[in-house]
Amino acid sequence: MDLSTYITIIISTIFINNFILSRFLGLCSFIGVSKNTLPSVSMGLAVTFVTTMASIITWLIYNYILLPYNLEYLRTLSFILVIASFVQFAEIVIQKKAPALYKVFGIYLPLITVNCAVFGAAVLNTDVFFLHGHAVPGSFMKSLIQGFGAGAGFTLAMLIMSGIRERLEYADVPRSMKDIPITFIIASLMSMAFLGFSGFKI
Amino acid sequence: MKMMGEFVKGLWRENPTFRIVLGLCPTLAVSTSVSNGIGMGVAATFVLVGSNIFVSLIRGIVPEKVRIPCFIVIIATFVTIVDLLMKAYAPALSRSLGMFVPLIVVNCMVLGRAEAFASKAPPFKSILDALGMGIGFTWALILISAIRESLGNGTILGITISRSFEPPLFMILAPGALLTIGILIALINYLTMKWKAK
Amino acid sequence: MNQMTKFGLMLGIICLAATLVLAFTYEVTRPIIAAALYREEQEALKAIMPEADLFKPGTVGDIKYFEAMNGPALVGYCLKVTGSGYGGYMHIIVGIDTGGVIKGLRILQHMETPGLGSKINEIRLGESEPYFLKQFIGKNARTISVGNGIDAITGATISSKAVTDAINKTVTEFMEKMRQ
Repeated sequence: MDLSTYITIIISTIFINNFILSRFLGLCSFIGVSKNTLPSVSMGLAVTFVTTMASIITWLIYNYILLPYNLEYLRTLSFILVIASFVQFAEIVIQKKAPALYKVFGIYLPLITVNCAVFGAAVLNTDVFFLHGHAVPGSFMKSLIQGFGAGAGFTLAMLIMSGIRERLEYADVPRSMKDIPITFIIASLMSMAFLGFSGFKI
Repeated sequence: MKMMGEFVKGLWRENPTFRIVLGLCPTLAVSTSVSNGIGMGVAATFVLVGSNIFVSLIRGIVPEKVRIPCFIVIIATFVTIVDLLMKAYAPALSRSLGMFVPLIVVNCMVLGRAEAFASKAPPFKSILDALGMGIGFTWALILISAIRESLGNGTILGITISRSFEPPLFMILAPGALLTIGILIALINYLTMKWKAK
Repeated sequence: MNQMTKFGLMLGIICLAATLVLAFTYEVTRPIIAAALYREEQEALKAIMPEADLFKPGTVGDIKYFEAMNGPALVGYCLKVTGSGYGGYMHIIVGIDTGGVIKGLRILQHMETPGLGSKINEIRLGESEPYFLKQFIGKNARTISVGNGIDAITGATISSKAVTDAINKTVTEFMEKMRQ
């Protein structure tokens, strides 16, 4: 596998199939946290870290434990458990070893366990990079990159949305549209812009 | 009568989709057709009822600190059961919902009900709560998918409504989903405010 | 520490119970799922090659295929084709006669975008077959491509190409292997 494959996967997951705006994964945190720029970016970084790591761990589990022993039906259970334990573990480690970093995104870690983006990335990897129960060539690296790209796309969407919502504070929005409805409508417009990328196949 | 309240609240007053705004990923992603919407609604309701019963049953036994992982395991079990049953008895539906069946496990609505309600209430009450929430989720999903399928594809449940109508494609793509739910929530906010003012 | 062990034990017991329940459900549903898949495959084969009364499975290289028999006579082959579409893999069964001319095809599974790529399997009002797939019938699988015998669907060029190219590639490879 060469570099261009990796770059196309990154571009694809960030722009063409953005996790939030075209796959709707991670919408709950997107709507809930995107009020201010700083927390949004911190949350985005935390998600990127977890999606990347989760992609690695779940790929190893799927390829070396679940597939060889025909335990595919345990995919959901094992993935969610591994992600939850990893997040818990990361929280403890970061809190002890890097308190400064913990201040930036530590508080978002518990929220991430049930973030659809993380679990979604793990499931998507097994759907896309496995064929007839076998890993496709370069599957591991592709999964890792897709996991990273998923988080990066999430961060980008969060950053843009929080920038818009900060401005929105000063806008005179009708009362029934305030907060959540207007956020959805902005997200719809953003999604329309991202639709311009669709149709590129890698 | 008070029991009935636990059931009814999910339908409108605390509707998971429109009022609490939880569990949106599947709501938006699968609402491209009404049949998908019904399938997802039923699957999520099954998981809700199953997990609520068991969470309620173990509520005294499980220590506070490990309750969330325990809830997640219970939910994941029911999600896998629903996934296997769907593959066996409704393979076409299972294929068209795809990865969104396993994704029920991270649906905040399910964990939310387990944590906020079932972990504090007896089993029977928890079942009513789960049924109410599940049906509330299902009708919201059917409404959204009916709007998107009819406007975006010109069909309802796969049946063409009118030949002369050229459907705007964008309603069935991602932006249409976000726009639909935004407008629906605004509409419901507006109606609620109006009724309160009376 | 004692408390930690208690927590771990509790979680362990619940996980064990969950796994047992799932293993049981899996064992119960496995034959039903396999039967459903088999039934679907047989239905697709019957629809593609109505004149055949027996389908003998076989493998050549990576390609899985069925020999379509009418009594003792070989009518053609049905090949399992995997294409790489816009949203992921698509699984197709294509039926060809012994010369490589397409007699019918079915898309068993695809992950294309609803409203765009999903049109490869869309049936128009009043018709019985997907309009995109109909144009394959009667054409030689080894020479088709988008623009050459096959028209792509507007807005779904990638998906149309994926179907066409996968069929072309698999059939060409299959015919070569069979000649050897």
